[in-house]
Amino acid sequence: MHAVDARAKIIGFIGFTVVVVTTPPRPGWAFVLYAVLLAFVAALARLSPAHLARRVLVVVPFVLMVAVFLPFFHRSGDVVFSLGRFEVTDEGLLVLWNAGAKALLGVVSMIVLTSTTTFSELVEGFERLRAPKVLVLTVSFMHRYGYLFLEESRRMQRAMASRNFRARWLGNVPTLGHMLGALFLRSYNRGERVYVAMVSRGYEGAIRLERGEPFRAADALFLGAVFAAVAAIRVSAWAWSA
Amino acid sequence: MHIPDGFVDLPIAAATGVIAAAVVVGAVRKTGKDLGDRTVPLLGVTAAFIFAAQMLNFPVVAGTSGHFLGALLAAALLGPWAATLTLTVVLIAQALVMADGGVTALGANVTNMAVIAVFAGYGAFLLLKRLLPRTPTGYLVSVAVASWLSVVAAAAACAVELGLSGTVPLRTALATMVSVHMVIGIGEALITAAVVSAVLVARPDLVASFDLPRESIRRAGRKRMSGASRVWSYVAVVFVIAAALALFVSPFASSSPDGLESVAQAHGIDASQATPVWQFSPLGDYRLPGIESEGVSAALAGLIGTIALFALVIGAGRVLGRKRTESG
Repeated sequence: MHAVDARAKIIGFIGFTVVVVTTPPRPGWAFVLYAVLLAFVAALARLSPAHLARRVLVVVPFVLMVAVFLPFFHRSGDVVFSLGRFEVTDEGLLVLWNAGAKALLGVVSMIVLTSTTTFSELVEGFERLRAPKVLVLTVSFMHRYGYLFLEESRRMQRAMASRNFRARWLGNVPTLGHMLGALFLRSYNRGERVYVAMVSRGYEGAIRLERGEPFRAADALFLGAVFAAVAAIRVSAWAWSA
Repeated sequence: MHIPDGFVDLPIAAATGVIAAAVVVGAVRKTGKDLGDRTVPLLGVTAAFIFAAQMLNFPVVAGTSGHFLGALLAAALLGPWAATLTLTVVLIAQALVMADGGVTALGANVTNMAVIAVFAGYGAFLLLKRLLPRTPTGYLVSVAVASWLSVVAAAAACAVELGLSGTVPLRTALATMVSVHMVIGIGEALITAAVVSAVLVARPDLVASFDLPRESIRRAGRKRMSGASRVWSYVAVVFVIAAALALFVSPFASSSPDGLESVAQAHGIDASQATPVWQFSPLGDYRLPGIESEGVSAALAGLIGTIALFALVIGAGRVLGRKRTESG
């Protein structure tokens, strides 16, 4: 899985997410099948469940926090159960299911994609898929400078901690702002030195020439299999509800 | 404010996708022309910075927290078109790498945070720059207020998309998103102004939108705010929040009777039996007479009431304060 061409993985996983999002919320078993398909792909990639679970658990609470309130906003439909004054209708639950299942599947899909593809492979994949050059280049520079910022911000956090400063209320925010300004300046200065070094070694803002490996049969097989499975689920869901 | 997959329905996702793509294509063309070959490293740095800054949560009130957006910061440093590209890159990276924001919701997220936030904010910034005195302070105030507006505008657009998709009822979405982000926007304003001023002092060449002579920065100096002006700044901020809530949130208030009124009605005590004097009040029941739309009438009545209350309290404070110093 890690060896599959990045382009195939990008198209595969994003295509998977698009089909999931276009699937109507009923029948619900379609989404269970989608999840099984994802789990199968993750297992093929020999991703450790612990690693996956850790990454998923970082994002899932935020999605759930928003989703949990959804049912309470929809008052129409038959009441399913009530918690004191708050009633949950079946329509509310449907909205929750629709948004929650799709959001979770989308999140896990992206996590599996990024767990099986390195950042530079991803960038190269998008580049070869003819994404706009400016965006691709900016993303790679962002990645480069990202480590710079991470390092500088870790230094600043250590300085903060050693001076016992924590953002406790809104009034602390201007101080945070000044710190961010300093962070920006320090990192930009370092980045500028890097850029000047690159220019003096012949960098002209040109994108690197295509040198990537060709699309192999195995990659096509992966893509074909994913699309076949996703299409099968989608079509049977449509047929079942028709 | 990042919308996950499935929270916006297909028509909205498609429509916002088209808008986002069109603006991004335009931005790519424009930035290539203006910035030349420095474009990419500069955009990369700012994108990395905003990506990192968006991970910082700051406390808002009572245990909730908001996070920084950075649309107007990018626009102040790079101009609006480059800012659109920067924010787009950040959002794409967040959707793919951090799974923050759905891949299918990218159209909506880019439209909200890279297009609307940037251009609404930048438009407000240009307008304010013209209205306020042409000093570094005036410039920074324009930056601050415009950043606040950019966050609120993005939140409103997000609420509209969620509402039109049927995920959350439109009125609820607008009322909650806009009011919460009015407070988060304060943090955004303070951080943006602080970062821009820090960069302005050290490297004014990096701030593209600063069009005053460089010497004015040195002349402004670093004066500590006196105690009195700090109080007035506080008053001004509170007034802006109160007025904004009155203007934009109160029209969505529930029209059902409150606790006391419903109990009174249940016991057969009707409001029409109230003392006739109150019937002559100009803003009866929070409505400005003579205006058709209920929402606008409530908003204006709220604004007038807020101004009147502030004037009353400030006036009373002046009078009472003076009496004390006279006798003491």
